[in-house]
Amino acid sequence: MNAVQTDTKPNGPVAAAFLASGIGSLFIGIGVVLNEASNTIKDAIGIDFNAFLQFDKSFGFGAGVGPLSGKVGLAIIAFVVSWIVLHLWLRGKEVNFGKYFIVALVLVALGFALTFPPIFRVFAPAG
Amino acid sequence: MELTERELYTVLHGLILGTLFLLAFGGGLAGLWSLRERLLTTEGLQERTPRLLIGTGVMAIVAWLTVFTGTFIAYPWYRATPPEGIDRADPAQLADFPRYLLLAQEKTAQWHEFGMEWKEHVAWLAPFLATAVAFAVLYYGAQLARRHEIRRAAIVFFVLAFAAAGVAGLFGAFITKAAPVG
Repeated sequence: MNAVQTDTKPNGPVAAAFLASGIGSLFIGIGVVLNEASNTIKDAIGIDFNAFLQFDKSFGFGAGVGPLSGKVGLAIIAFVVSWIVLHLWLRGKEVNFGKYFIVALVLVALGFALTFPPIFRVFAPAG
Repeated sequence: MELTERELYTVLHGLILGTLFLLAFGGGLAGLWSLRERLLTTEGLQERTPRLLIGTGVMAIVAWLTVFTGTFIAYPWYRATPPEGIDRADPAQLADFPRYLLLAQEKTAQWHEFGMEWKEHVAWLAPFLATAVAFAVLYYGAQLARRHEIRRAAIVFFVLAFAAAGVAGLFGAFITKAAPVG
């Protein structure tokens, strides 16, 4: 942790917000992949992610939205919870912002990539 | 001349919120780009900071409103399943079921399989990214002019938020033309 003193507020809370947005973005991508690979995962370990992600049926979150309700529901939860935790951890601290930003950028790039159909279809069962 | 309830919602989702998003992006980006201490007097900095906060804040709020209205209002209309008795291979019977209408024809299937599948997911990155930028502006205010690293990072996230929303908006317009939900 860099303890550089500056004449502005400490940058920890902003690093927390950027990192949380990267985590939220990644969770969208993870949700897409889990749904796409749900048959393969179900055959392997017995967990049906397609059914799990249907928050509209399980929790009444967005009637008729299907698995997208779970993908965005989980991503919003990941974004909010990670922001709160990171904020509490980093508040009042001066951190190496560049490192946090690079990590956030990588997470966002992964989120972008995993929402791109030619990439997430790689995880779909053949045929 | 009249608009159905569904057409009104799609106008709200795509046109009204989309226009606000574009305006907020333009203003916010220009504000972030020029927020440099060496270019501004103290008074100039104080004068433009509230405007920057409005631009980035509006973009974040509009991004959330757009993805919520798109996902929870328009998307269920788009993916509605035709009832028994409707031939899913006959486009003439699928006007009220846009997803199935697109998939019923080889020339339009990719609008769903590529366009909609990408749009419905990538759009959700925009509010996360725009919220982080709005928070940075809210937190630092005029001090952001002295935080070059954070200002540059905010510009990158702001542009990425716009790119995500742009992909979604572009495909939304094309898909609506090919198979309107109204």
